[in-house]
Amino acid sequence: MDLLAALIFVAALALIAAEWVHRTKVALAGAALMVLVGVLDQDGAIESIDWATLGLLAGMMVIVGLTEPTGVFTFLALRVAQLSKGRPVALVFMLALVTGVLSAFLDNLTAILLVVPITLVIADLLRISPIPLVLVEIVASNVGGTATLIGDPPNIMIGTARPELSFVDFIVNLAPVALVTLLVVTSGLALVYRARLRVEPERAREVARLDAARDMREAKYVGRTLAVLLGTILAFFLHSLLHLEPAVVALTGATVMLLVAADDVESALERIEWSTLFFFLGLFVMVGGLEAQGVIDRIAEWLADASGGSRTAEGLIILWGSAAGSAAVDNIPFTAAMIPVVESVQGGEFDDGLWWALALGACFGGNATVIAAAANVAATGILGRAGEPISFARYLAVGVPVTLVSLVIATVYLLLFQL
Amino acid sequence: MPDLRTLPLVNASVPDGALFGEAVARLFEAQVPAIAVLGSGERVVGVLSELDVLRAVFPAYLAELRQTAFLEDDSTALQERAWEARTRRATDFVRRVEPLDGDDSVTHAAERFLHTGEQALPVVEGERFIGMLSVAALCHARLDRAGPGD
Repeated sequence: MDLLAALIFVAALALIAAEWVHRTKVALAGAALMVLVGVLDQDGAIESIDWATLGLLAGMMVIVGLTEPTGVFTFLALRVAQLSKGRPVALVFMLALVTGVLSAFLDNLTAILLVVPITLVIADLLRISPIPLVLVEIVASNVGGTATLIGDPPNIMIGTARPELSFVDFIVNLAPVALVTLLVVTSGLALVYRARLRVEPERAREVARLDAARDMREAKYVGRTLAVLLGTILAFFLHSLLHLEPAVVALTGATVMLLVAADDVESALERIEWSTLFFFLGLFVMVGGLEAQGVIDRIAEWLADASGGSRTAEGLIILWGSAAGSAAVDNIPFTAAMIPVVESVQGGEFDDGLWWALALGACFGGNATVIAAAANVAATGILGRAGEPISFARYLAVGVPVTLVSLVIATVYLLLFQL
Repeated sequence: MPDLRTLPLVNASVPDGALFGEAVARLFEAQVPAIAVLGSGERVVGVLSELDVLRAVFPAYLAELRQTAFLEDDSTALQERAWEARTRRATDFVRRVEPLDGDDSVTHAAERFLHTGEQALPVVEGERFIGMLSVAALCHARLDRAGPGD
């Protein structure tokens, strides 16, 4: 039965990576199969679902969905383009910074969905290719998202699986290394792309003339929506002191926003990406099947053997292994499978260093390939629909070097401060 | 009960070799929200609606944006894009849709309009195109035939 569980999971991962079938269908089919063939009983399947992660995701989807019409994100992206005054390096850094910060405090997929469309407009107005800018934003979203508990799905899963790790713990332990990595990889990309992003002064003046705040002035409920958004982010910082789970913070924020800023609840709830939530649900059940059959424990034993019992080696194997796994499949299913492995490896004593290694590996690994993170899939999809498709190989030429540099920085950081 | 053949169908179509500019001219002239693009034997290759034309003429990224009040017209870029679209083939922009059948009931047609979001759909007999049915034509015909019940 353990072999069957592993086979179902590996087949599901392969199908998700191949993108032949929608990933949600694959995850749900894998979960159903695990229950139907008896890998996991029905009660076990229900218990294996991490409802806190689903609640956190759903809450943030509502909050962001209701904040988007305020035009604040359009304002931010447009304003940085104006402030760059057509200087390529400044434009790259400012867009990377905005994307990174939005990723950290909303989540990286949302940040991409908000920033990339505006970037297409900016590139069109400046008469430059949007592809270098969007590639920078993808990288910034994955690196920026690494900084917080809510920034990237792997961190959301880790943060909800391990209540010992608070929102502030994530920031204290991951934000500095994420910031350094963001500066280093953005510098590299700015150097590579600066010649292709030269802007005619006249075009820069055209962009400077645009009224960036006009959408905000014309939108409804801007003040109260931003107040709830900022209040929710503040509550994330204080959730340990308030003894509130991140999911409770997000769902409370969403409820308050529905009360004060939604004219129509039905359309506000349409912003919830149900396919994403069901994808997570299917993954949790599949991983529950692996746990029930002892597959996870065997992987953990193998990891312990490979590391010779050295904590440093364990941490580095987790870092590089989860980056490679995320690159090959998708960092969400890979993290879902790795969380119980890390739990098993650390044994009875909680070891936050191993969790930071997993977070850094999965989030940074998310930059390696187009399929490694949901943000990459979304960004390249938007580019394709806008008539600027980017091939798997072209993405790889940026993604792999960026990931290797990021992992080297993460390795140095873990060795110096965590392992 | 009347079937779709009894409704005012509009013979609004272009052959699949037509240029986009020719198709748009036909769309404007026929005054229906969409025209059919026909292959051999008057088989429906797809439809070209007003929204499809809008997507072709204006930047593709508009569909990804929700807030655009800040934008000003970039007339050079718009002109270049329109010129490029005009000389491409109409088939580059068509969408495949499920045509209605001449035998279908008007209620079925109404349901199709509601759930596809299309404003006009091609009607076929067998595989042969017999005309475009618009929402306005369907509803106008129903109102025209309205009367008090028994």
